[in-house]
Amino acid sequence: MLLQIENLHTVLRSRQGSTHAVRGIDLHIEQGETLCLVGESGSGKSVTALSVMRLLPEAVASHPQGKVIYENQTDLLKLDNDLLPRFRGREIAMIFQEPMLSLNPVFTIGEQIVEAIQLTRQDMPYSKARRTALNAMADVRLDNPETRFNDYPHRLSGGQRQRVMIAMALACRSRLLIADEPTTALDVTVQAEILALIRDLQLSYGMGVLFITHDLGVVAQIADRVAVMKDGRIVEQGDRDDVLYSPQHEYTRRLIGALPQNLHRPRVVSEADAPASEVLLETRNLKVEFPLRGGLLRRVVSKVRAVDGVSLKIRRAEILALVGESGSGKSTLGRAIVRLLKPDGGQIFFDGKDIAQMSSGAFRSLRTDIQIVFQDPSSSLNPRLDIATILTEPMAVHGIGRTDSHREQLARELLAAVNLPEESLWRYPHEFSGGQRQRIGIARALAVDPQIIVCDEITSALDVSIQSEILELLLDLRKRYQLTLLFITHDISVVEFISDHTAVMYKGQLVETGPTDLVCKQPQHEYTQALLNAVPRFRSNSQLAGIE
Amino acid sequence: MNSAPDFSSDNSEVLLHRRSPGIRVLSDTFKSRGAMFGAGWLALLALAAVFAPLLANSRPLLNSVNGMISSPAFIYLTPLDFTLLVMFLAAVILFFLPLSFRKKVLLFGVAFTATWLLAVEFINPPKLSVYETHRELKSETSADWVVHAPIPYSPKDYLRDYGDTGLQAPTYSADRIHLMGTTENGADLFSRMIHASRLALGIGLVATGIAIAIGVIVGGLMGYFAGIVDMLGMRLVEIFEAVPTLFLLLTFVAFFDRSIYIMMVIIGLTSWPGYARYVRAEFLRLRQQDFVQAAVASGIPLVSIFFRHILPNAFAPVLVAASFGVASAILAEATLSFLGLGLVDDPSWGQMLNQAVRSSTFNWWMALFPGGAIFLTVFSYNLIGESLRDALDPLTHHSESR
Repeated sequence: MLLQIENLHTVLRSRQGSTHAVRGIDLHIEQGETLCLVGESGSGKSVTALSVMRLLPEAVASHPQGKVIYENQTDLLKLDNDLLPRFRGREIAMIFQEPMLSLNPVFTIGEQIVEAIQLTRQDMPYSKARRTALNAMADVRLDNPETRFNDYPHRLSGGQRQRVMIAMALACRSRLLIADEPTTALDVTVQAEILALIRDLQLSYGMGVLFITHDLGVVAQIADRVAVMKDGRIVEQGDRDDVLYSPQHEYTRRLIGALPQNLHRPRVVSEADAPASEVLLETRNLKVEFPLRGGLLRRVVSKVRAVDGVSLKIRRAEILALVGESGSGKSTLGRAIVRLLKPDGGQIFFDGKDIAQMSSGAFRSLRTDIQIVFQDPSSSLNPRLDIATILTEPMAVHGIGRTDSHREQLARELLAAVNLPEESLWRYPHEFSGGQRQRIGIARALAVDPQIIVCDEITSALDVSIQSEILELLLDLRKRYQLTLLFITHDISVVEFISDHTAVMYKGQLVETGPTDLVCKQPQHEYTQALLNAVPRFRSNSQLAGIE
Repeated sequence: MNSAPDFSSDNSEVLLHRRSPGIRVLSDTFKSRGAMFGAGWLALLALAAVFAPLLANSRPLLNSVNGMISSPAFIYLTPLDFTLLVMFLAAVILFFLPLSFRKKVLLFGVAFTATWLLAVEFINPPKLSVYETHRELKSETSADWVVHAPIPYSPKDYLRDYGDTGLQAPTYSADRIHLMGTTENGADLFSRMIHASRLALGIGLVATGIAIAIGVIVGGLMGYFAGIVDMLGMRLVEIFEAVPTLFLLLTFVAFFDRSIYIMMVIIGLTSWPGYARYVRAEFLRLRQQDFVQAAVASGIPLVSIFFRHILPNAFAPVLVAASFGVASAILAEATLSFLGLGLVDDPSWGQMLNQAVRSSTFNWWMALFPGGAIFLTVFSYNLIGESLRDALDPLTHHSESR
């Protein structure tokens, strides 16, 4: 047995008191096996990984009980600090979530891999270490290892950086790889490559992998065994197929049931009998450019076309999903439609009027009709204002509501509409969880009684169970207020669940549009096909779908 | 990460005790012993500044001459003395009134303006002041009964006519007690110290206030509009940073009156670039934040976005810098007075230090007390600034605010 965790407890102390983050978990990993640790945020899965690596500062973390036994002999928790480097890096390697932060920007990637090798095997001469590093880089399929060796990290994409991290683990002949959400920050197509790479290398080198993720789709692709974690405890553990297709614990069932592909969608209007309603918003050949400045006087040396001639139509009371990977220009398009950015070309017709080149004074009265909800719940609400002010200020500006107390009443109704209790009115944003903040963001958008709301990745920072609640809330609100939604996302399964029409964006251009069912089942464009193939997912069997 | 509020329990109590971010920061700031000490010392100074004419005055607070009760100290109150006393009273009353903070500040401003205008218009203390008639011994012989101030000497009451004109060490003679000794003209040092606290507090607060007002507006415009506005603004900031405050002050003092107000304005006008830089950096960061973008998307007017949505979130580093700025303004005035270019006759700590140096013998009390007061005041502001910086640092409480 490569690694055995017995009854591990981790207590984290802070000024406000201590948190029992891990409450007695038992795990074991065999050689050449992938164990997926799944859980929602705050479940303690990352703390578990850090505890195994002893990476938590001793002033903060303590382990009142438990053992972490490596290769049936060494208890890592009781290991002397001087002996730790022998295990870290050499025996056990770790990959982190954020590839942009995990490599040192001032050293070339070659130097960093060689340094890691020489740390673990001090007697190895530089030339040999360099050869080992190059081999490892070739193994993780980095193109041109010889030239990449002298590149600095900023020249690599996120996916390439994760490859470098894996190459480090390979070069050091690590026997256990701990990967903490290594693909969460990556696009799905890149994620698919990295997952395949980890799978391949593990087969050829016989590494044990502890793979931490929140994404059940990833689990279905990579895991041999699965452990489901909740509130610091493991609620279910077993072979992948057993856990995913016949889950025993109620929490696992709920987790699987909350996946968008398993949600039951109440189809309000089916495609066939929907009357062709009027077009509410239309863009024609819309262009948004970002200038690249350089030289002495910061002249514009060239331009990046973030949105390059996009024409799309959104009909009234329709949900249009805009899908694309990071950098495809989908968020820029959304911001241009609400006029947070001024388009550099083309037209945006809203209700027949061209708003693209309208002066901001003339556009002010239209602001109430077009609203936006943002991705990041932590920065989308002003931390210094209470919820009442956040909701009533836009109303007051646009003359909605007669008096302050009337507006306050309206704000109460909005909170009720997004299923938040009335007391929330006098609280401050930091008192709410991410999902609750997104509800407040939606309520703020609704406050001015808009016709169309742009939802910019509003669920991508949330856990799946919270995501399903938000999605259902949106469908409900759409029905109640006859809302039109432009739903921007990178997640195909969310698209399938929520949207009537889908537009796929790639490098600033629309490559495919059409009814969602058609686009997702019979993609025409090759990029759409690649995107759909890369999405890791599994559909639970029919027996599960019935369980709410 | 975030603990969601527990809505199921009874919320009435929780809601009463909710702490706004501002109050949280304040209570965290004054948790540290250093900041508490600093605040204590500054409060003491503020009290001394407000009640100076009642604490140290040659004129009796109350006396009865031939059955007529009068208050010479009160008659000689200047408009400034009067305004300070009234405003202190107003501040205490407002503190206990159940009003919102914003209303309190507004009321205080209105009251201040009204009192100041009325005081200047209607309060005319006698121009001529002969301290001799009111001095302790004199008034006690001529009056039925007398109530003296705790320190029965005015700051400008030079006791030359007592015969022992010069310097005296603390409590030199038993019949006239000088707790901190006297200056070379025979004025009571303690009295001068108390009256000088006005200058020290005033110059720090007013000069820094002017600097912050200019810095916030210039820096905010630079940060919010970026681009060409930012470029021009930064050049302006660099120009002003190149102006040496002390030498500008020397020049002005040489050309014009030695006025405390001119000093305040000049120190304020030359020290804003630092604040402008801080505010600019914060605005540059915040204007791209989603909540600001959401405010723009809701059509909220620019003024509200500027002052309500961005400024409160950008103000933290300014507050910290301000506490250090107050200290340096006090030092600038003390330096000027020390060089003999401060106010002519009005007491100031720096001027007392200057006198201590000029004298042929070393008079420890002339150096120790004003020097100690300058040190403690600057130290207090720095301690508060230090603690404020810690309290505002998000890393020190990630568990509470993410």
